[in-house]
Amino acid sequence: MINLLFFGRLGDFAKDVPSTIEASTPAEIRELLAVEFPDLGKALHQPQVLVSVNKMIVDWDQPLFDGSEVAFLPPVTGG
Amino acid sequence: MSTELNHEQFMRYSRHLLMDDIGELGQQKLSEARVLIVGLGGLGCPVALYLAAAGVGQLTLCDPDRVELSNLQRQILYRESDCDEYKVVCAERELRALNPHIRVNSYADEISDVLMDGYDIVVDCTDNLAARQLMNARCVADKIGFVSASALGWEGQLIAFDFAAHANLCLNCIVDKDSPEPMQNCSNSGVVGPVLGAMGSLQATTVMRMLLGFFQQHGEMQRYDGKAGRWLALAASARRDCAVCGEVA
Repeated sequence: MINLLFFGRLGDFAKDVPSTIEASTPAEIRELLAVEFPDLGKALHQPQVLVSVNKMIVDWDQPLFDGSEVAFLPPVTGG
Repeated sequence: MSTELNHEQFMRYSRHLLMDDIGELGQQKLSEARVLIVGLGGLGCPVALYLAAAGVGQLTLCDPDRVELSNLQRQILYRESDCDEYKVVCAERELRALNPHIRVNSYADEISDVLMDGYDIVVDCTDNLAARQLMNARCVADKIGFVSASALGWEGQLIAFDFAAHANLCLNCIVDKDSPEPMQNCSNSGVVGPVLGAMGSLQATTVMRMLLGFFQQHGEMQRYDGKAGRWLALAASARRDCAVCGEVA
């Protein structure tokens, strides 16, 4: 199982999302979640959303392994 | 600023001088430093105030905007009577009043390559990716420090690079320069003032750490969720095909 973390305002879209999921890449997680949680899916498809696996920023096609923690981070651009 | 501290400066910086890992030698390093602050908004205000107070010897400010009433909720260098004045003019006046021993220069202009000559560290306090990428590329080329932060709503982000010590892993490795800008920004989605203060303070601390030789987290990203009250530190890796710092660049 893959452990999920939605950082910042992405957490507002993910209140009903289970804390774990079965998937092989972050991109697959995004597609699976978009089916059941379309608002979250839309938020995850914004430009500059980052994904990390075990606290390392990775590409969306990074292979996942059992027990991985996947965190999704919304873009933060203001100053 | 002279190379030796006078009596007034001993008193002014006494809380630094009491610290073994800053002391007189560290204060001299700060006084010899040249730092460019790009963006004098919610991040740039605390960055400039803390670095001026700390005795960073040369601060250069760059921002084309004028003070607006809607800035005053978070941009702590300005007062209501400053509205319609250039931010850099108001900021320079306040910083000189705070610490007349440092040099403060300013440009009421957009950041551009010609304004980036001769600095030890560039501090990105802007609100758009194009400016960030311009600064990132120049800092990579010049092998100097780059301290970038941003904020939106309750959230903040900081990422810093010491290109004097590391040739690879830059902002473009993490966020591609051709990425579109996100739809949400402070103007249309809002931002909490103290979150900007927290991130700006962290930028100023990071600048001091770099100048004093303590900085070790090249390319590490710090994320702050002010609503949940939690921090997250994330590592990143260099892209071999990065157009800015990669093997083909």
